Amino acid sequence: MGKSIAVRLLRTRQFTVAIVLLILVIIFGVSTKNFLSTSNLKNVLLQVSTISIASIGMTMIIITAGIDVSAGSIVGVVAVIVGKSTLKGIPIPLILLIGIGVGALLGSLNGSIVGFIGVPPIIVTLGTMSFLRAMVYQLLGGRWIGSFPPFPASFRAFGIGEILGIPIPAWIMFTLAGVFAYYLRFRATGRYIYAIGNNPEAARVSGIPVKRVLFSVYTMAGILYGIAAVVVCARTGIVQTNTGAGFELAVIAATVLGGTNILGGEGSVVGSILGALLVAIIKNGMVLMNLPALTEGLVVGSIIIVSVFADILKAGRENHG
Amino acid sequence: MRALFYAENIVKNFGGVKALKSVNIDLREGEIHALVGENGAGKSTLIKIMSGVIQPDSGRLILEDEEIKLSTPRDAHERGIATLYQEPLIYKSLTVIENIFLGNEIKTKAGSIDWRAQQKKAKELFNMLEIDSSFIGEKMGNLSVGLQQLALIAKALNFNAKIFIFDEPTAILTEIEAKRLFNIIEKLRNQGKAILYISHRLEEIFEIADRVTVFRDGNDEGTYRMEEISREKIIELMAGRTLIESIERVKNITKKPILEVENLSTKYYRGVSFLLYGGEILGFSGLIGSGRSEVMQTLFGLIKPESGRILLDGKEVKITSPKVAMDLGIAYLPKDRASEGLFLRLNIRFNISIPLIETLKGKFMKINSLEEESLAKRYMDSLQIKAPSTLTILQNLSGGNQQKVLLGKWLSTNPRILILNEPTRGVDVGVKVEIHREIIKLAENGISIILVSSELPEIVKLCDRVIVMHEGSITGRFDTKEFIVPRNLLNAATGARMIQTQ
Repeated sequence: MGKSIAVRLLRTRQFTVAIVLLILVIIFGVSTKNFLSTSNLKNVLLQVSTISIASIGMTMIIITAGIDVSAGSIVGVVAVIVGKSTLKGIPIPLILLIGIGVGALLGSLNGSIVGFIGVPPIIVTLGTMSFLRAMVYQLLGGRWIGSFPPFPASFRAFGIGEILGIPIPAWIMFTLAGVFAYYLRFRATGRYIYAIGNNPEAARVSGIPVKRVLFSVYTMAGILYGIAAVVVCARTGIVQTNTGAGFELAVIAATVLGGTNILGGEGSVVGSILGALLVAIIKNGMVLMNLPALTEGLVVGSIIIVSVFADILKAGRENHG
Repeated sequence: MRALFYAENIVKNFGGVKALKSVNIDLREGEIHALVGENGAGKSTLIKIMSGVIQPDSGRLILEDEEIKLSTPRDAHERGIATLYQEPLIYKSLTVIENIFLGNEIKTKAGSIDWRAQQKKAKELFNMLEIDSSFIGEKMGNLSVGLQQLALIAKALNFNAKIFIFDEPTAILTEIEAKRLFNIIEKLRNQGKAILYISHRLEEIFEIADRVTVFRDGNDEGTYRMEEISREKIIELMAGRTLIESIERVKNITKKPILEVENLSTKYYRGVSFLLYGGEILGFSGLIGSGRSEVMQTLFGLIKPESGRILLDGKEVKITSPKVAMDLGIAYLPKDRASEGLFLRLNIRFNISIPLIETLKGKFMKINSLEEESLAKRYMDSLQIKAPSTLTILQNLSGGNQQKVLLGKWLSTNPRILILNEPTRGVDVGVKVEIHREIIKLAENGISIILVSSELPEIVKLCDRVIVMHEGSITGRFDTKEFIVPRNLLNAATGARMIQTQ
C-alpha cells in the first residue's frame, strides 16, 4: 500500500532540513536582536547565493556518483579573467558571456577526462584543482585586482544591486535553481543523470549515452561555477590569489547536507539550496550570538556527519525489509 | 579404502526452490571424485555447504567419523576443507607470500612478521607441489590465473587442508595451464588428499577422476567408478528422462530471415553464423563461458565485432551502440538483472520508461508523466507485476516481480527482435510459467525471439530451432523438434560436433 504523499514528504531529507532551518530561525530570532532584521536577512541571502549556485552543479555531479573538488579553483580562474576583462572596459553582457564560457571550458575539461577517458572524478578534479589554482597565481602575478582601479558600478550591480528589495545574486540563484530543478525532474537527460548514478552498467545497456551525459554534467557544473564567480567578483569587488579557495568544500557540504547521496543516485537541487541556507544561517546566527568562530566549524561539521550517518542507517533499514 | 568425509541426505531449499532434495557423496583419501550435472543441478549448493558458506536444512556432514557443523567458511578452513573457486579469491596488490600467510602469519618472538621464515615455508610448499617457486615475491595481480590458482593451493597446503574442492578450475585456463593443474591435482591425490572436482568438461573427468557422482535437479543419480561408466551414460544421467511438457502455439514464422549473422568474430567467440526468422523462437544453449552472452551483446551494440557481418532485412547494419540497436528494433534483456538490468533503488515507472523516455515528450519538452504512468501501468497489468503502484521501489519486490519489470522495460520499446538472456534466472516456478507464456504470446504476435538459457527444459519446451555453443564456436544446430532433446544439447555443449538440419 502506497504511503500517502504527505508521509513520503515527511520522510525526505529536504523536509528535515527545512524543519531544522525553521527551528534555528526561531532560536536566532528570539535570542538575538538583529537576526530577523531586513538587512541581516539580505546579508544571509547574499552569502548563500554563490554557494547555492555552485551547489546546483555539484548536485548533478554527485548524483552521477562523481565529485568535483576543482570548483573553487574554477571560480578563481573565472574571477580573474572576468575581473581583468571588466577593467579593460569590455561591455557587461560580453563579460557575462566570458564568465560562462570560461566556466564551461574548464568544466568540459573535467568532463572529457571523466567521461571519455574514464579517470575517477576525484583524481581528475584534484589535478585540475591544483593546476587551475596555479593558473590563478600566474595570471594575477601576486597582486590583487579590483580595489585600484575599482570595478565599474554597472558590473558591481551583479553582486550588490537589488530588484524589488531582493539582492540580484538571490534572483540569479532562484532562477537557476528553478531551471535546473525542472531539468532534473522533467527532462529525459535529467533522468539519465539519476540512472547513471544508480547503476552505470544498466544505464549503458538501457541505451543511455553514459559518456556524453557525464561530459555534459561536468560542463554544466562549470557554467554554474562561472556564474558564481561573476557574482563573487561583483559582490566583493576584489579578486585575489585565494579567491574561491576552500569554496568547493562549502559547496560539497551544502550538497550533502541537502540530501544528495555521496554514493550517487539520489539528490535534488532544492535540497542543496536548503543545505546551503542551513550552513549560512548557522554561521550568521552564531556570529550574531557572539559565539567564537571556532564553534561554527564544530557545529557545521557535526551536522554533516550526523546527517550522513542518518542516511546510512536509513539505507540499512530499507535493505533489510 | 576408508572414507574421509560423508555428506548424508543433504537437503537445501531456497524459498520455494528445492536446490538439493537429499544427496549423498563420500570423499576418500587419495582419490579424485568428480561431480557433474547441468546448471542448476545443485553442485554449487553442495560446495557452498561443504565450505561453510550456507547451512543445509537437514542432513549430516561427517569428517573422520565425527559429525561436524560448518557455520562459517572459517570453520571449514579449520577443519581442513579448502575450496578453490573458478575465479581465484586473491588480494591482487599483495605478494604471493603475503597471500599465502594472510591471517596465518609466522611471527617472531617480538610479534612482528617473520619474513624469512615465511619465505622458507612458502618455498617448501611449492616444492611439495614440485613447482618452481621463483615467483613467490611477485604481486598476485601480476600472475596469470593459472599461477594464482597454484598459489591458493599452496595456501591450502599451509593450512594442512585434507579436502580440496575444485569448482570448475579449468574453465578460464589455457590448455597448458590446465595440464599443469592436473599434474598438481594428481600429486595431491598421491599425497593422500581427498579431492572433489567439479567440471562441465567430461573429457577432463575421464582423464583424472577415479569416481564420478552425477547430480540432476537436486538429486544424486548415483556414484560410479570411472571404468564402469561411459560418456554416453553420464550424459543420459545428467539429462534424465523427465517428460518435458510442450506448449502449443500458433506458429507464424516468415519464409525470409529478418536477421542474418555471417561469420561474426570477437575475442570471445569465432565464426558465428546463423539466421533468425520472423515469429520464431531460436534457442541458444551451451555452458557458462561458451560465448553465447557475448554474441548477444554484440547484436545489441555492447561489444564491437572484429569481423563478420550483420544483416537486417537483407541490408547490412553496423550496430555501434545499444541506442542504434534499439532504433533497429532490437531489445536485449541482460542476464544479471541486478548489475546490468535494473535500477533497484528506483521505482517501477522509472525502470520501465527509461529506454524510451526521450520519446515521451509533452508541453515545454517536459516528460509526459501521464503517458509514462500509462506505459508503466500497461506492463504492470499485462505482466501481472505484483506491487502497490508504479511508484514502488524495485528493492521491495520479489525476484520474480523484478524480472517481470525487466521484461516490461524491454517490451515497452516495441522490438521486432527480442533477445532474452536467461529470462527465468532466479525466479520461482509460478513466475517461470508466466514468463514462458509471455514468450509464446510474443512469438505468436510475430516477434522474433532469441532465447539464451542454461536450463535445458526451457530450451526444449519453447524453441523451434536451437544453436549450441562450446568454447566460442557453434558445435550444434538442431532444426527440428525431434532432435531438440536434452541428450543432443548436452553432447554438443560438452564439445561434440552435432550439426543436424532438415
